Amino acid sequence: MSDIILDVQHLNKSFGSKHVLKDVSFSVERGHIVGLVGPNGAGKSTIMKAVLGLFNYASGQITIDGDAVSPTSHQAMDKVGALIEYPGIYPFLTGMQHLKLFSKETTSQDQIDEIVDRMKMTTYIDRKAKTYSLGMKQKLGIALALVNRPKFVILDEPMNGLDPQANKDLRTIILDLAKQGTTFLISSHILSELEKLIDDLVVIDKGQIVYKESMATLESGGKRLLVVKTSDDDKATTILTQNGYQLDQTAGVSIIETDDTKMADVIKLLSDNGIDIEDVQHVHSDLETSLLELLKNDKVKES
Amino acid sequence: MITLVKQETYKLLHKKSTPAVSIALLIIMTVFGVLSKLYPKYWSAKGMFTTMYTGGSWVVLFLIAACSSIIAMEFQYGTIKELLYRKYYRGEILVSKWITMLIYSIYFYALVFVYSLILKVVLYNGKFNLTDTYANNQSIIETQFMNLIGQFLSVWLVLSLVLLLANIFKSTAAAISIGIIGYFALSVVSGLMFVLMQKWDWLKWNPLNMMNLPAQLTSDTYHKMTLLSTPEMICGSLAYTAIFMAISYVVFKRRSV
Repeated sequence: MSDIILDVQHLNKSFGSKHVLKDVSFSVERGHIVGLVGPNGAGKSTIMKAVLGLFNYASGQITIDGDAVSPTSHQAMDKVGALIEYPGIYPFLTGMQHLKLFSKETTSQDQIDEIVDRMKMTTYIDRKAKTYSLGMKQKLGIALALVNRPKFVILDEPMNGLDPQANKDLRTIILDLAKQGTTFLISSHILSELEKLIDDLVVIDKGQIVYKESMATLESGGKRLLVVKTSDDDKATTILTQNGYQLDQTAGVSIIETDDTKMADVIKLLSDNGIDIEDVQHVHSDLETSLLELLKNDKVKES
Repeated sequence: MITLVKQETYKLLHKKSTPAVSIALLIIMTVFGVLSKLYPKYWSAKGMFTTMYTGGSWVVLFLIAACSSIIAMEFQYGTIKELLYRKYYRGEILVSKWITMLIYSIYFYALVFVYSLILKVVLYNGKFNLTDTYANNQSIIETQFMNLIGQFLSVWLVLSLVLLLANIFKSTAAAISIGIIGYFALSVVSGLMFVLMQKWDWLKWNPLNMMNLPAQLTSDTYHKMTLLSTPEMICGSLAYTAIFMAISYVVFKRRSV
């Protein structure tokens, strides 16, 4: 068994004259949680649908666990669970009936009950789905993706409509399953949530992959700042510059941290010069900042 | 494939409309049975029986609705993605729906057949025998049976079109309206059609003419109007059904969802 569960190579797709996926290549390592992010209309759902064999594509190759995937080749889908765009729900069935309908013969009632319990759906699982709220439907959609314990799970905007508690529950479940070896490909616009989950990041813009790295690399690449608020910011700026500190011009007195930067030295230097320090903050660039920075560069040209 | 048919049947059986429609059908047939008993002037007892106490016509309506919804509901509810991303081939998904509808149609015709026998025994026991000659040298039971077979074949011609339209338009409304209009348009346009067929012989192969099959099966003069022999009509019906199904299959396989 190779370490790659999903491999997408040179995927191209057009809707009419619009070229929506341009030579998309990326791979997903077994047991990793991979975030797929990008602006609206960048092609996230299209990639996911192609991976699920729902689309014909012009050229390229998709393999899941070594098996090729296309609309006419679906054997690999046995190992896949997915929630795409919005959950597909029959209003005349109850949540439990949905889970039974879509569960495999090898999936036991205990496994169904377990996912219902973990998603905290027990109180309404036997009610008809037409009475469900948006969040309840979303949870059912996630439960449907997970019920057969697939090796590879694709979730498109899974946090949509979930309350903070449900969000936290979902995070716990995903992290637990990943620890047991399940691989996840997740797209989301809620970057603060995604950041807490993912190992690797794939960024797509206008149908092209613009970035694919691990989160660790992304984090280490970002600037770390030490932001100080003082009684005399102008004077502080002058003194710090004279003493060889690199300052960031964005806001207030922001010292660009290096490995040698010590907060104590900065505080001592400023107070020795008669400047009062009112507040000190460490600022890390988070996923949102890094991502916006990345997309602002606009490496991709519209075609 | 068996799993898929089971899943389709599961969905069908859990719809509220499914038992409701069967019950409604039995009530309607009972009403017409009783009416024909009370007012023999307007409805002949034998005629009512051979047309299964109007049950056959209602079954057409119900089957058109069921066929359009078994395809269109998946698009409407967004469940089509869940159906298609699994390990099954696309063709299998569609064929499982057809098989489910075939089973459903057989169930309906068996139901109206059996219930018309029950109504006959309850309401007209001793009034007439099933082996009495009705018309066309056929006994009553033969006439009813021929009606049933003819209806079954011509209904499937309509249903294959409904299944195709539901597939193309992804909407129940369009498929149902065209299906119902198509089926009942026959009585409206058949007069004109027969005249035109006298002029242009090839017109006899048009699909609407195939729908005259039940009438032809129970009459020995009808072939003079349809210009087709009964075997020709049966083959024609089956051929049109197969063509519509084949187009459906291609459309479904090529669709991006």
